[in-house]
Amino acid sequence: MNKVSIIGSGNVGTSTALYLAEKKIADISLIDVVEGLSEGKALDAEESAPIRKYDIELRGTTDFSELAGSDVVVVTAGIARKPGMSRADLLNTNAKIIKSVSEKIAQYAPNSIIVMVTNPLDVMSYVALKITGFALKRIVGMAGVLDATRFRYFVAQKLGVAVGDTTAMVLGGHGDSMVPLPRYSTVGGVPITEILSKDDIDKIIERTRKGGAEIVGYLKTGSAYYAPAASVAEMVECIIRDKKRILPCSAYLRGEYGIEGIFVGVPVLLGKNGVDRIIELELIPEEKEALHVSAAAVKEVIEKLEDLEIF
Amino acid sequence: MKKVSIIGAGNVGANAAFYIAEKNFADVMLIDIVEGRAKGKALDLMEAAPVRDYDTKIDGSDNIENIANSEVVVVTAGHVRKPQMSRLDLLEQNAKVIGPIIGKIKQYAPEAKIIVVTEPVDALSCYVWKKGGFKRNQIIGMTGVLDTTRLREFISKELQVSTADTTALVMGGHHDYMVILPRYARVEGIPITQLLPKERITNIIRRTREAGSEILSYLKTATAHYAPAAAIAEIAEAIVKDSKRLLCISACLQGEYGVKDLCLGVPAIIGANGIEKVIELQLTLEEKQEFDESMTVISEAVKILEE
Repeated sequence: MNKVSIIGSGNVGTSTALYLAEKKIADISLIDVVEGLSEGKALDAEESAPIRKYDIELRGTTDFSELAGSDVVVVTAGIARKPGMSRADLLNTNAKIIKSVSEKIAQYAPNSIIVMVTNPLDVMSYVALKITGFALKRIVGMAGVLDATRFRYFVAQKLGVAVGDTTAMVLGGHGDSMVPLPRYSTVGGVPITEILSKDDIDKIIERTRKGGAEIVGYLKTGSAYYAPAASVAEMVECIIRDKKRILPCSAYLRGEYGIEGIFVGVPVLLGKNGVDRIIELELIPEEKEALHVSAAAVKEVIEKLEDLEIF
Repeated sequence: MKKVSIIGAGNVGANAAFYIAEKNFADVMLIDIVEGRAKGKALDLMEAAPVRDYDTKIDGSDNIENIANSEVVVVTAGHVRKPQMSRLDLLEQNAKVIGPIIGKIKQYAPEAKIIVVTEPVDALSCYVWKKGGFKRNQIIGMTGVLDTTRLREFISKELQVSTADTTALVMGGHHDYMVILPRYARVEGIPITQLLPKERITNIIRRTREAGSEILSYLKTATAHYAPAAAIAEIAEAIVKDSKRLLCISACLQGEYGVKDLCLGVPAIIGANGIEKVIELQLTLEEKQEFDESMTVISEAVKILEE
């Protein structure tokens, strides 16, 4: 059985474990610095195994050496966004956490693939890359899959069609500058631009952009975790089973889309080696411009980070 | 698609919705009096639907009227234990929480099968039954399904066998006096009494009794929610699909096992009508004694509520 380690046993981390368990993807280690948290959640999930028929192993620990032998390491550690807080505000605290976590991954799981979830994730992926020195394709950020699943749900709801028949493509940084591409978002292959009015599409785009904030607004004391965790599990499954799906993920770009040296959301071919290939879509000028605005926002945060002398 | 309503959108309630969605067997209405909580969690779950490929509808509301037309209503609302507390310590405060909910269920979903999860489950199942004037087959306390999944997990770990090959049976009240029957705990039909020495069985039994507290002692600020939620989904599925599963649940007994007008854990057939039949096992003298002790504790708790 393959092994997936999840660092951070908050709601996103543990729900990811649950989603992976439901599909029996891999053995799972939950790791958190808070004593008891991972142990308790892993045991609770293990105790549902007889009912849910998992034969995978779930372990919880505070010991980072448990990372050893992981095929995939999911990083969810960090503080969550509170109402009114922007993703950039999370920067300082989370950068330090990710630095220390990355050191552990490099030490104990040097051959793993890292799936970065901690926000701002395009930037945290960059931190992980700098600290671990991993090959570029072995670090991938979770953003587009989440944005796309939300987009698809909203499209399905608007049209009254099954979510299974929808596809969506979302590029750019994970945040207010994300770039949903209606031309590449379809229902049974038909672009939504042919079946929804521009006004409806704009509303869906706006709602997707604010999808995370909408949930925080409802929950007040917590942020979304089911859809994010489902999205992480989808990527992990794709890597472990070498499914080579094309998923929108945050990947390190070296000139693709005219962007250089940062992580930003693009369609990638994801398989057992991580990012096998970056797919370059043909973009119309407005789309291209929106992507560049988004990339510039990511770059700006990285520059702030460099001022903090994290590396 | 049939409808399951879950009152209380905390960890147990929301994860029950999650497990139901994963198996795609019912639409779910999450209800919570805290504004936004049920709606936020339901929306989050629906936003996972495209990735997880379920076509179940999950909705959230702070208006309990939305339980109308439910096949099953799950009651998880109430306070949870803090470390060092017993489930029975929650009796009076949780009775106050679910008191008004009972009337609402009677009003908006009088025919629903009601799965009671709020602790202490047996006493509160009895409370729901009597106060609401429901038929006895409508009331199902979620107890033994949880205790047995834990017991099965521990047996499988102890013997290094697949959990799929294990079965277990737990009776009595869902508290420190639960009655665990090793004779009926089996691996592919073989009683564990033939596979494990007595001392190790005793340890497993003790761990099962204290399993809720074990999780609580790890998490400190939260109680177990995955295994309890999985147990709820299992019972709800048996009702919605009329699967006639033999499950350990808390049932309102009317003479079975010599008990009248009290809810206690027993094996029962669960189907579209809720509790279709209570199975009466031939208990040994010792087992019967344990069962009676367990009953006394619940019976006293119910008396407190009646007063």
